[in-house]
Amino acid sequence: MRTTLPWMLIGRKLGIHSSSAAKRRILFNVLLISVVVAALVFAQLFVVSMSRGIANKYALLGNGHLQVHEMAGTPIPTLDEIYDVQLVAQTYSLIYSPSKNLMVRLKGVEGSYFNEQRRGELTFLPTDLDAKGSSLPQVLLSTSIAGKLEVGQGDRVALMMISNNTLRPQLCIVANLYDSGYKELDDNLIFCDFSLMEKLFSTKADTYYELLVADNAISEVRSRLEGEGLSVTSWDQENFAVATNLETSRQAVLGVMVVVAILCGYFISELSRELIEDDKRRIALLKLLGAGNTLVRGVYFTTVMLVTLFSILVGTASGILLGLNLGSMLSFLAARSIPALSFYLLDFTVVIPYLDIATILLVLVLVSSLSVLWSLRRVAKIPLLISARFD
Amino acid sequence: MTKSNELLLLKAVSKSFPATARGGEPIEILDAIDLALSPATSMAITGKSGSGKSTLLQISAGLLSCETGEVLFDGKRLDTLDDGRLSRIRSTCMGFIFQSSLLLDDFTALENVTVPAMIKGLGEREARSKALALLESVGLGDRLGHKSDQLSGGERQRVAIARALVNEPLVLFADEPTGSLDERNAAIIEDMLFALVAEKQVALMLITHNMPFASRCDQVYRLHNRKLEVIR
Repeated sequence: MRTTLPWMLIGRKLGIHSSSAAKRRILFNVLLISVVVAALVFAQLFVVSMSRGIANKYALLGNGHLQVHEMAGTPIPTLDEIYDVQLVAQTYSLIYSPSKNLMVRLKGVEGSYFNEQRRGELTFLPTDLDAKGSSLPQVLLSTSIAGKLEVGQGDRVALMMISNNTLRPQLCIVANLYDSGYKELDDNLIFCDFSLMEKLFSTKADTYYELLVADNAISEVRSRLEGEGLSVTSWDQENFAVATNLETSRQAVLGVMVVVAILCGYFISELSRELIEDDKRRIALLKLLGAGNTLVRGVYFTTVMLVTLFSILVGTASGILLGLNLGSMLSFLAARSIPALSFYLLDFTVVIPYLDIATILLVLVLVSSLSVLWSLRRVAKIPLLISARFD
Repeated sequence: MTKSNELLLLKAVSKSFPATARGGEPIEILDAIDLALSPATSMAITGKSGSGKSTLLQISAGLLSCETGEVLFDGKRLDTLDDGRLSRIRSTCMGFIFQSSLLLDDFTALENVTVPAMIKGLGEREARSKALALLESVGLGDRLGHKSDQLSGGERQRVAIARALVNEPLVLFADEPTGSLDERNAAIIEDMLFALVAEKQVALMLITHNMPFASRCDQVYRLHNRKLEVIR
C-alpha cells in the first residue's frame, strides 16, 4: 500500500490538479522532447531509407545482389531465395553524339532483364522500344546522359566499345530514355541488347550472371553458391566505394543522432531541476512530515521519466508518420528537378530502421535517467526549514 | 526510553549563526542549554522575539544541528542518525505545528491529514479513516474536501493540528501555533490543542510569547540572554 502515496504525489504533478505553471512547464517539455525525438527519428529514417534506396538501385540496375563470374551456360543452382538470374555482358564504351562524347558503362542485357521489380526502379519515356522500326542496334540511355550528349529518342549515337584490348565501333539508335532517380548511377550507365555484345565480342565479352536474391538471404545464398564451386561477388564488393560511403554515412548520421540524444537526455534533467526548484517548499514539507529523500526522489524521477517516455512515444510516432508520408514530398521535389538535390536519391521506399531508432531512444532514455538521477541529488540538500521560512 | 524516562533531553546545547550570509563574527543564540521533556507532559518556552525560541525547538526536533552539546530523543542522539532513520522518527514520533499552517496547497483538508499517515506506511483506507476521525474531532467534518485556499486561517490551523496528531506522535512541537490568528480563533486552537494533547497523551513543546497560553503547560521556561530560566 506504500506505493499509493508516490502515485498520489505523481498524479498531482502530472494531473489536472497541478498548477497551471507546472502544467505549462510539463507541456512545454513534452513538446520540446517530442519535436527533438521526431526530428531524430525522421532524420534517421530518411538517411537509412535513402541509403537503402541507393543500394537497391545499384543492386537492381548496376550489378544485381550477387554476381556469379562464370562462363555463359554454367548452371546456377535453383534456390528459393534467388528470384531472378540474368546473363549480362558489360564493357566500357565511349559514346558519341554529333556534338559530344562521354565514357560510359555499357550493359548488354536480355529482354527479360527489365522485370517488374527493375521497371519499378525506372521511369521510361512513354514510347515503345520496338516501334522505331530501325535496323540499327538499340540503346537505352538515361535522361542524364542524353541531356549531356544532346540527343533524344530516335537519334543516332556511335559507340566505341572496349573489352580485353579489343575496340569495336557501332552505330546505334536511342530507343528510349530511362531515369532511375539517382544521378550517380544514371550518369554512366547505358543498356543495349545482350546479342549485340555477344556478336561484337564473342567470347571476349565480360559476361557474368546477375542474381537478385531475397534481402535477408544474400550471405546465405552466397555461401551456398561458393560451396558449389562458383566464383561469387556481391554488389557492395563491385561498388566498394559507394557501399562504403553509404555505410559510413549511415554510421556517422547514427553517431550524430546519438550525440543529439545524449544532449537531449541531459536537457531532460533540466526539467527535474525546474520541478524541484518549483517545489522546494513542498519537498521540505513532505520531508518534515517524515518523507525520506528516497521517496521524494522516486516521485520526481518517476514524474520526469513518465513525461520523457510519453514525449518519446509521441515523438517517435510523429517521426515515423512524417517519414511514411515522405514519398509525396520527395516526389514533389523530384518533379521540380532542383539542381541542389540532383545528387540525392529522391525516389525511394521508406523503411523503418527499428534497430537504429531503438538505439537512439535507448541512449536517450539511459542518459536522461542518469542525468535526472544526478540532478535529484539536490533533494537531500533542501533544508526542511525552508517550508517555514517561505511563509 | 532512557533510564531517566526523558523523552527529549538537551545537554549543554549551544548554537550561533554567522552575522551575515558571507560569514563574519558569529551571533550566539543559545548557550549551554539543558532541557528535559518527559512523555505526556507539556512545556512552554517563552521569550522576546529573536531570543532563539524557534531555534531551540528546531534543534530539539532535529531540524537544525547544534554546535556543541547533545540532543537525545528517546535515548538516541539525533545528530548521529542518517536521513532514513531521522525521517522515520519524524514520521512516527514527532508532530509539528507552525505559526503558518503549512498545508499542501493543492490537496484537500482530508488529503493533507492523510499524507503523513501514508508516509508512515498506512494504507490509503486506514489513513483516510484516521484522518477523517481527527478532522471531525477538530470540527472540520464538513470541510474535508476543501483545499487550503478555501479554508480560513483558524480552519487551516485545525487541519495542521489534525495532521500533526494523525500518526499518534510521542511529542508535538508547536511553534507559535496561534501567532497568526485573531483572539477568538486563537482561544479555540489553544483549547483544542490542550484537549487533544491530554486525550492522546502526547508530550508538547510549545513556543509562544503569549504568557496565558504558556502558563497552561506543566513547565514554563523563559529564554533570555541565550539561557533558559525556569518560570514554573
